[in-house]
Amino acid sequence: MAVATRGRLGRNRLYLAGLSPAAFLLALFFVGPALWAVGSSFTNRALVGLDAANPRFVGLDNYTRLFSDPDFGRVILNSVIFVIGSAIIGQFVLGLLLALLLDYAQRRGFLASNLVYGAVLLAWVNPTIIAGFLWVAMFDFYNGSLNTGLGVVGAPPINWLGQGPMLAVIIANTWRGTAFTMLIFLGALRTIPSDIYEAARVDGASAFRRFWDHTLPILRPIAALTLLSVTMATFGTFILIQTLTNGGPAFQTEVIALYAFHEAFQNHAVGYGSTISVVMLALNLAFAVVFLRWSRARA
Amino acid sequence: MDEVVRQMMSRRRFLQVAVASSVVVACSPSSIGSGAPTTGASAPPGGASGGAVTGTINVSYPDEAGLKPKYVEQAAAAIKTAFPGADVKIDLQKVGDDDYYTKLLLALDSGTGPDVFHVGGSSIGELADASYIEPLDSYVSQWADWSQYPDSVRSGVTYKKSVWAIPYGLDMRWLYYRKDDLQKAGLAADWQPANVQGILDAATAVKNANEANVLPYALYAGPAGSSGTADHAFVPLLWAYGGELQDSGGKWIGDSPATKKVMAYYAKAYDGLSPKEILTSTKPWTAMREKLGNGQLALLFEGGWVYGGWASANKAATEQNVGYVLHPTESGGPSFTIGGPGTCWYISSKSANKQGAWEFIKAMNTAEIVGKLNAEDPHPVARKDAADVAEYKASKYNLDATAALEKAKFVPPDPGYSKVIEAIQKATARVAAGELGPDDAAKRYTDDLTQALGADKVTSQ
Repeated sequence: MAVATRGRLGRNRLYLAGLSPAAFLLALFFVGPALWAVGSSFTNRALVGLDAANPRFVGLDNYTRLFSDPDFGRVILNSVIFVIGSAIIGQFVLGLLLALLLDYAQRRGFLASNLVYGAVLLAWVNPTIIAGFLWVAMFDFYNGSLNTGLGVVGAPPINWLGQGPMLAVIIANTWRGTAFTMLIFLGALRTIPSDIYEAARVDGASAFRRFWDHTLPILRPIAALTLLSVTMATFGTFILIQTLTNGGPAFQTEVIALYAFHEAFQNHAVGYGSTISVVMLALNLAFAVVFLRWSRARA
Repeated sequence: MDEVVRQMMSRRRFLQVAVASSVVVACSPSSIGSGAPTTGASAPPGGASGGAVTGTINVSYPDEAGLKPKYVEQAAAAIKTAFPGADVKIDLQKVGDDDYYTKLLLALDSGTGPDVFHVGGSSIGELADASYIEPLDSYVSQWADWSQYPDSVRSGVTYKKSVWAIPYGLDMRWLYYRKDDLQKAGLAADWQPANVQGILDAATAVKNANEANVLPYALYAGPAGSSGTADHAFVPLLWAYGGELQDSGGKWIGDSPATKKVMAYYAKAYDGLSPKEILTSTKPWTAMREKLGNGQLALLFEGGWVYGGWASANKAATEQNVGYVLHPTESGGPSFTIGGPGTCWYISSKSANKQGAWEFIKAMNTAEIVGKLNAEDPHPVARKDAADVAEYKASKYNLDATAALEKAKFVPPDPGYSKVIEAIQKATARVAAGELGPDDAAKRYTDDLTQALGADKVTSQ
């Protein structure tokens, strides 16, 4: 057994050496902080007050408090709506549609396709905080471009962030993140040889059938990974929402990552904020496991 | 607990008695401090504790308005002149107070904080409990200028029987109104609300006057309003309706008849009088202050210091159009304001150069600098002799603000207050956004307080 292990280690030495820099960085910047958060979630660690001077182990107190927190259900529901709206329907489906359109246009050499490509990409290369301010400039009640536009046509202004705050942040996040899925799908679509479509067209297949029978099966593995990636990234995002509504009005856009941030750094309750992050991590992990199993089973 | 209550009660009495004395002193030209005001440049900052100061003194402070840097530079220069072996490194953070505070706490928590820093005096309890700050008793006991600080000011920076911070100006708040907007709505230029309802009535009159681009009223609410949601809105309203934050046993009061009335007031204010954008804006006060300054907002209860921004932009127009009155009560009883120790200078308990840090605080708080700074950034001066600085006493506004301190009520100096503010933000946001009715929001306020502070520290009436 020992010999076998040593033999396997020997064979894999080069492989392990190649992996170790990445593993080290992941351990340092992801596993380490995550473990710290888990440890911190069992304490009453705070940035101010007596708990800051003498943090102590409080067992499951933070978890009990979180699961009896009347706001937490609301926060989870907000997160689910935000992920479904901006990650799945917004970034994923819209990104796929845009990629299909652009691929169609580029295969036919339409010049405007590059303009669309550039516009979508621009939204993505902006830092999130800039994207947030751009949307603030649009949604702002008094001076925003949307209400200015309404004023020009004589319509009354709309309190975009007050009346439909969740829709507003979903639109902004969709705009911001669609380029990622679009790029991935566009790359995948370009690997599909044109003769497959030629043959299908000769056989008289409709555009939908060509998509369903040929495009979709080729895209499926990459679609699964993209969906996983955008879902998890969106679940953990908060800067855009912080810039636009800061979770308001009255918790209507408070998502789990923002709630963790507010508790840890606005209310200075680091232990409780860590507990929220740990629950967020657990939900993300559970989602990833279920999703990967499901996509492997289908493959 | 009884000990804490006794301290609080004695502090309140101190404030009431001694604020009055400071007003008299500040307003009377004959009652100047014992000597001529020392200047930052020429004062030997060595003081009684003396001794040569060497090494680097790391000073950190936030300032978005840009009024403090020249005085900080002046104090630093005075230190370098008096102590050639010392160097002062200044870290000016041009960010909001909340952001600065979070950054500072993270630095203090990791042991990398500055030697001396500048944050609100309401944080004294929670900073002292966290062992982040150095008690200043041994320093002030040897500082002759400490005699210039009235008992009211001293007790405002005292927690658990120790002095923890040196303030430069005290906080007070006004109900500001635009005379031009109110006149257009048919109200008098020297308008005075007869009671709390009078504020809403005036706002309604402005609304009905349909003036273009004029908002009737802005009422701080929700987490976006930061501590202003408590200090500029909920707390004075609670007091106006006869309520208190804590009962005589030191328990925080959740639901009560007064709390319900405050919530009902919020519901009325947010039913078309106060803009809901306050709930979703980042730093909503920026727009609120700007709009009152240019006449696009008619009514706002705000910090006294905000007047300085309007006055420096256009003194004549501000004096002509911006009126200020005390907060009314429900029944038309005596009007009042809400006071506070203002922004203070602290020494980090982990500082490697505490003597240097103290010398900087002294150099920064000479009568001259305190007077000039408060003339630009208007607060009632923390030290009596600063009221005699020409720039300060030249303004009628400064005298009015100082006189108003006599009518000030103070929030209990309890380290739990920041958690109470959090619950207040949630409760007011729920009513303002129309999620809960006033009575339900008041009940939920008790739940939020209990959640944050523990059932043994909360009661309802």
